[in-house]
Amino acid sequence: MTEVAGAQELGKEQLLDAYRTMRTIREFEERLHVEFATGEIPGFVHLYAGEEAIAAGVMAHLDADDYIASTHRGHGHAIAKGCDVKGMMKEIYGKADGLCHGKGGSMHIADLDKGMLGANGIVGGGPPLVCGVGLSAKVRGTNQVAVSFTGDGGSNQGTTLESMNLAAVWDLPVVFVIENNGYAEATSTNFSTKGLDIAKRADGFGIPGVVVDGHDFFAVYEAAGEAIRRAREGGGPSLIECKVNRYYGHFEGDAQTYRAPNEVENIRQEKDCLMLFRQRVTSAGLVEDGELDRIDEEVKQLIDESVEEGKASPEPGEEYLLTDVYVSY
Amino acid sequence: MPSVVGVIANPASGRDIRRLVSGASVFDNAEKGSMVYRLMAGLGAVGVGRVLMMPAASGVSESLRRHLRGHASEHRPLPELETLPMTVRHSARDTVEAVGAMLERDVAAIVVLGGDGTNRVVARHCAEIPLCTLSTGTNNAFPRMREATVAGMATGLVVTGKIGDEALRREKILRVGLNGDPDHDCALVDVAVCAERFVGARAVWRAADVSELFVASASPDAVGFSAVAGLLDPVPRTAGYGLHVWLTSAEDAKPPLTVPLAPGLVVPVGIAGHRRIEPGEEIPIEPRPGSLALDGEREIEIGPGDRPTVRLETGGPLTVDVEEAMRTAARRGLLNGALTAEADVPGDEPS
Repeated sequence: MTEVAGAQELGKEQLLDAYRTMRTIREFEERLHVEFATGEIPGFVHLYAGEEAIAAGVMAHLDADDYIASTHRGHGHAIAKGCDVKGMMKEIYGKADGLCHGKGGSMHIADLDKGMLGANGIVGGGPPLVCGVGLSAKVRGTNQVAVSFTGDGGSNQGTTLESMNLAAVWDLPVVFVIENNGYAEATSTNFSTKGLDIAKRADGFGIPGVVVDGHDFFAVYEAAGEAIRRAREGGGPSLIECKVNRYYGHFEGDAQTYRAPNEVENIRQEKDCLMLFRQRVTSAGLVEDGELDRIDEEVKQLIDESVEEGKASPEPGEEYLLTDVYVSY
Repeated sequence: MPSVVGVIANPASGRDIRRLVSGASVFDNAEKGSMVYRLMAGLGAVGVGRVLMMPAASGVSESLRRHLRGHASEHRPLPELETLPMTVRHSARDTVEAVGAMLERDVAAIVVLGGDGTNRVVARHCAEIPLCTLSTGTNNAFPRMREATVAGMATGLVVTGKIGDEALRREKILRVGLNGDPDHDCALVDVAVCAERFVGARAVWRAADVSELFVASASPDAVGFSAVAGLLDPVPRTAGYGLHVWLTSAEDAKPPLTVPLAPGLVVPVGIAGHRRIEPGEEIPIEPRPGSLALDGEREIEIGPGDRPTVRLETGGPLTVDVEEAMRTAARRGLLNGALTAEADVPGDEPS
């Protein structure tokens, strides 16, 4: 019988890890929302709050040498893939000891040692990258898998559709995760995306496409587990569409006049991934509230320290202007 | 008053994890739109004047509209299409709201295009309105895969009074109780007790996860958990009993049963025992953490303190027996002669 990754296999430590990942992303993003408003952070930030269950549910199946390609809304993916949280915060503050020496900022956080190919300012920029590393893994005969994250807006980009075709043609060990949060910048999917389910586009490329609730860690975990196992075992690419909501604007400073009054408040009350996760694991008797509260405190302290260090770290000096610009092969 | 038939076409069916785990069929929305058109052609041919439809997602409604535009010049009768005025949320609540509105409008029947899940939701809320159930995928136990044109004709013959109750069938239903609430939820075919604690990706595809199984009906040629019961002791839909099956690991069972658990997934299933269950019997499920799958999808998470029960009832929804309706039409010569171009034909019972 096909052995698949049901949520049943999750032990207590894994449940606590998943919660810690989601809580770290949430705290990181909620804090950035506050700190960005002070004007201290250069550039743009796009917050992932509300979508944490996707990053945590997918990355729970990836090894350190598996690859991910992220989006402009990339903090959550980076944290879940294991990037150093303090290094990320320093990077966002543009500091010399940031993850990319302060030269990337929020939208270009990358850490190749962790298989994080980078947040990406190009909408639809991730899928071609995972085809590249997917081909590399296939040619080298490793068991590595590459996962790209794309929004509903990015799903309409030619690069995304071309990559799905290429991955299908070459049978690459790739998973396309579509984070459908309902808005391409300020445009509702009702106006920009034809068809109810983006997952159905997979049919056109002859690959499986499924829809899951992106607020539900366990739903994402199960679907991602199966798609990644397929890819690892030579079963080729697949597409997972996660229906989800973001809590903040497209970018920080977005007035969000395109959203209904109380839209976000209702989602926070009814579908919040951390709330749902806590309810389920505690009522199932698997984890106690106190254990999750402790994680909340530890994460808060980590983010406090990250912001403090981010502010205190030195700016990159002029001597770094021309370093890391070109790479010799 | 022309006969009005309600139509619910679930645009979201056919996208669950079974596409990843077992190669289950995909059913696109354009085909659902074509099915509604063919259904309307069948309904119109036997005199149904109006179809009242739940608003469909773009893929369904566009395909339907294309067919309707093409049909305009063909001079064959087609019911008028009216879309329910309601806000669509793209969740099961849409179906509940649509069924409620259809009851208020006094529809004569509701045709459901969807899977077991959609049918379950409709069955819970449709009272005594007959259902015609059309499967939009290969992994369903309750709705049948059949041509929508013929289903439309059969339903039309019933709702226009040309054929009476003899073509209607009373289905069984499994009522699921929880902590003293005897009607917490329901299943039309099977209730599976799973070890998975969370509903997660909903589908159940591992026999090892299931410890107990209750079925209202079970056919040996079914796919899914009801096939386990169907291969042990087939339970016809018309039988006045159900079946309770206890499962064990395939290694412990000698020999295990070979069961098509999902399309493309034939596995050994260990059987510890089974017995027939009578209607009205409130059967407690062994209380332990896990989840209950209703008609193949995990729906209810069971915590340590929860006390679930299952009860078979013979008073489930009414459904149109398409085969019986068409047999009756043939026997009585109801379709002999030219079809009328009038959509609103008065029912002419043969003497």
